Amino acid sequence: MKGRFLSIGLYASLALTLLAPMLVAALWSLVDPKGGWFAPDIVPRAISLHHWRAIGLDRSLLNSIGLSVFISLSVTALSGLLALPTAYALAKIPFRAKRAIEMFILAPLIVPGLIVGIGIGYLFFRVGLAFSVPGVILAQTIGTLPFMIRILSATLEAIPADLIHAARSLGASPLQVGLHIVAPLAWPGFIAGGMLTFVSSFEEFEKTFIVGAPQVETLTVKLWAVLGGKVMIFPNAAVVTFIVLVPTVVIFFLAERAMRNDGALAAGMGKL
Amino acid sequence: MTTSRATLWILLVPGVGYLVLFFGLPLVLALLTSLGMGTIGTNDGFTLRHYAELFSDSVYRDGIRYSLYISVVPTLVSLAVALPLAVALQSTFPGKKLFLTLYKVPLVVPGIVAAFIVMILFDRGGEMSRLLKPLGLSLPKLVRDDWSLGVIIALAWKSIPFMTLIIGGALASIPVARSLGASRLTVFWQIELPLSLPGITAAVLLVFVGSTGAFAVPSLLGPIYPKPLSVWMYEAAYQKNDWGLATAMGIVMSAIACAVLLAYYRVTHGLRRATGGEVR
Repeated sequence: MKGRFLSIGLYASLALTLLAPMLVAALWSLVDPKGGWFAPDIVPRAISLHHWRAIGLDRSLLNSIGLSVFISLSVTALSGLLALPTAYALAKIPFRAKRAIEMFILAPLIVPGLIVGIGIGYLFFRVGLAFSVPGVILAQTIGTLPFMIRILSATLEAIPADLIHAARSLGASPLQVGLHIVAPLAWPGFIAGGMLTFVSSFEEFEKTFIVGAPQVETLTVKLWAVLGGKVMIFPNAAVVTFIVLVPTVVIFFLAERAMRNDGALAAGMGKL
Repeated sequence: MTTSRATLWILLVPGVGYLVLFFGLPLVLALLTSLGMGTIGTNDGFTLRHYAELFSDSVYRDGIRYSLYISVVPTLVSLAVALPLAVALQSTFPGKKLFLTLYKVPLVVPGIVAAFIVMILFDRGGEMSRLLKPLGLSLPKLVRDDWSLGVIIALAWKSIPFMTLIIGGALASIPVARSLGASRLTVFWQIELPLSLPGITAAVLLVFVGSTGAFAVPSLLGPIYPKPLSVWMYEAAYQKNDWGLATAMGIVMSAIACAVLLAYYRVTHGLRRATGGEVR
């Protein structure tokens, strides 16, 4: 069969670089506190769900989960609302300064999150939004909005203008065109954009850390606290890692399927 | 169909206005603060002393050098893996569809998680050294080591799928015909590589800039000294409350990012003209 060796090689490297590390992390989350897991042992002496059961008892962790979900949903809604009209203008209306505006919109994707964070952190410090949940939502949206605009405008661009013209000339109102032509054709892109925005907000660390930590403790900020502290508790870190990763990866896969190809993803990140 | 200017503006304002307010304005404020014209603390009028401090203090000079080190090396490592991977992914093989989804997972893995994984695998007493010990092998120090190998592993691991995605997109848009008998290698060197250069440049520059501002990974895996400029910036702002110095560091890093971005637009603009507008 053609390409069999390539396939074996690629999947083997995937297993080594992705699956194996996840497996070790999974073992860390399953370490039984009575047995522990110390240096020469390749696998833990005893395995239990102790650290997983402890989630239910850990108020601050439950709070972090709820807070992360709330912030990510808010960021997704805000990004979608702000991005839609602008994406439509960029996709469908020709105007002169388009190139410059596109460049400006992409800038926040390219400037590292920490630098954006310091700028916005300073501003929020002065206007009293520092260390607050609304502050974190506003700060994360700086990073997700450009991405959302990109994906939405790439989706809208793909809708043939002829369809819209035809409907308009046959007497459809702009609202009818939006509901019956644009919406059905564009929704896969919208869903994918929304899911990717949710994911990038859920896994965001730098801006959240600068604007919100330590008062606003999302899951990634919590992970930082567990790992960066004086004593590192690997089993706890492993549990938080999976709480962050599992929804992130699942939603990411769903978004990938909704987009059907790499087009929009590459458009969002690559096509500058 | 003509759209009035007013409609256009109304459509553009939500997205563009938000970014002007929360991205552009803070950067301008940061620039003013770094020049001594902010309003927190001493307002001593225009001054370059924050920049003078930044460039004269050997601690910060080492910081700039270290920031560049942990951006250049992971970028080169990623490129060395991503370019052949992107080429390999152009051909067909069993299970290609699944692989194309799975290899992208590191795109959505937070830097802290990547750092945690490097810790449990490569730190002293980590899983790798435990596995190698019965074979009589041992690993060099990889976490908090002088060469920042752990930082490089974590940053490169995160960047490889990103680079592969962009380079793969550039390669896929090249229609390659081998009917005249050119070998696979000739086609790659003489046609695919030159034509996908804008994509490769974009990927390299984006990964470079992203790594310049990396914060969590070098804090958790890097040596005690030197620290990258990003870590010094955070300490100056939130531990010393010296926003003048912190914003000066932010401006220097933004300037690097902007220079890279402009260079990128130069390169692609030139190429777009050369190829008749087909390269996007």
